[in-house]
Amino acid sequence: MHPLDQMTPNERMGAMFAGEPFDRLPMMPFVISYAPRVLNQTQRWYRASAENRAECQIAAYEKWGHDTMVIEYSLHGVPHALGSTWTDPENALPAIDEHLLKDVDDVDKIDWDIDAVRKENDPWMKMNIEATERCLDKYGKEVGVSITLPGAFSAASGLLPVDKLLRAKRKKPEQVHKLLKICNEAVKLVCEEFIKVGATPFLCDPVASGTIINESEFREFSLPYTQEVFKFCHDIGGGCGYHICGDTTKLTQAMSESGCDMLSVDDAVDLSYVKGVCGDKLPLIGNVSPNATMMLGNREDIYRNIKENLKQAYDSPCGYIIATGCDIPLPAPIENVDAFMDGVRELAKYPLDPAKWE
Amino acid sequence: MAASKEELIEKLYECVVEMEDEDVVDVCNEYLDAGYNAYDGIMDGLVAGMNKASELYDEEEYFVTDVLLCSDALYAGLEILRPHLDADESMGEAKKVVIGVVEGDTHDIGKNLVKIMLETAGFEMYDLGRDVPLDAFVEKAKEVDADIVAMSTLMTTTMSGMGTVIEKLQEAGIRDRVKVMVGGSPISRKFADEIGAEGYSANAVEAVAVAKELVGLE
Repeated sequence: MHPLDQMTPNERMGAMFAGEPFDRLPMMPFVISYAPRVLNQTQRWYRASAENRAECQIAAYEKWGHDTMVIEYSLHGVPHALGSTWTDPENALPAIDEHLLKDVDDVDKIDWDIDAVRKENDPWMKMNIEATERCLDKYGKEVGVSITLPGAFSAASGLLPVDKLLRAKRKKPEQVHKLLKICNEAVKLVCEEFIKVGATPFLCDPVASGTIINESEFREFSLPYTQEVFKFCHDIGGGCGYHICGDTTKLTQAMSESGCDMLSVDDAVDLSYVKGVCGDKLPLIGNVSPNATMMLGNREDIYRNIKENLKQAYDSPCGYIIATGCDIPLPAPIENVDAFMDGVRELAKYPLDPAKWE
Repeated sequence: MAASKEELIEKLYECVVEMEDEDVVDVCNEYLDAGYNAYDGIMDGLVAGMNKASELYDEEEYFVTDVLLCSDALYAGLEILRPHLDADESMGEAKKVVIGVVEGDTHDIGKNLVKIMLETAGFEMYDLGRDVPLDAFVEKAKEVDADIVAMSTLMTTTMSGMGTVIEKLQEAGIRDRVKVMVGGSPISRKFADEIGAEGYSANAVEAVAVAKELVGLE
């Protein structure tokens, strides 16, 4: 446990969900692909083994004591397991190289094997399961492990280039639904693998963002699939978080109907608005600006951004977890991440004192 | 009775706004068969329709998908009408833009939208695609004597590449001849200023006004 805290993350999160008092607001800055920065390692090294992945997350937790470790199954994990290829850059995130499908009608030509995502069939999955187990073996008693994985719509965009996916959703919606169903079955298996070892899936669906599709399309092509995944997680005894990047303001109500246990929004969204729409239904997570504040700002900017967020959401009825709006950019100075943690410990200590935020 | 020129131009406009990439071909053929002027069909029909689409996008009435489908109709129509332009009816002395997504990033929807909008506005576009090596921006800008280099990225890890391209334009001795504009969701006005890019736009529609201003068209 971090020397400046009075509770472990597990105790704190438990208290928040139970509506009981705790020492400070939980914080979940997205220390995801950023974690190897703590050990001065590259992204490729971080992707190389379960040991490396766990070592980075453990080192980050030991340094900062934030309220979750994160194993990055990656948003491309599902399409990669199903047959798309990805790049292996030294110090950036992998991107899809060759999409499995060239045309949406190819969905009918492939002999789909959803079990390809299972750990016995996919070395990437196996490595991430092992990394999760290592993190939980070491610190599972005090802090949980979240898993980033894609929603069906984002997974589909890793199998079929996104412009084709978007066009097809108008011209051949039934074919798109076929593809989404396949992706969703795979996503459910991924959730199952991680829930079995005691981790919490955190579903991210950037391609279903409000900057790309509108609400009615979201309700047709994304929400039903996501609802199915979250119900599945709950049915097998797991929890689930939900995040969509970018401006999701107009999707807030729909996202809150997904059945997730926690809702995370990016910095393009006003937290007080989200609080008004669904703060009485579920805990909110957000949303210090990853770029303007964490990457390009300084300590003062970070404190200012934390204060703004606190003012907007500290009294959200089901709880509030202070976080960055999305993954911390790799070039962000490590002192800025230090400042984030310091800022939360200073400004969000119980009892909360709004006078400190002026 | 054969449709009048105005009626057909209105139909071309509607085909683009309504994303009819098949009907537009028939209307274009009907328009040519009736002997009407290709340039007017392009400018007052197809391009006007695409401008309407970008207005609707700006008003959040249309989304990315709609704009892509409108542009499919636009390009399908252009393919029919363009070969029938008279030699002196090219779009005038078009300003040239080299555009691409910087190295390390393969997300190109935003870039494609900007390309469509600028093309509609009469710019001559040289699209380098996605994951573009930084030197390629400089080489292409030299080769075509570009007026603007436009770079986009979605990834924070690749943002610094934009600054490197600006340095490389300097080293190549053409920095004073070419304007640089940048965009993409992690990019801000502040970042653009820091790396010394003259233009920044938050979205594809705004990019047109920015580009025009950079080359003194407005």
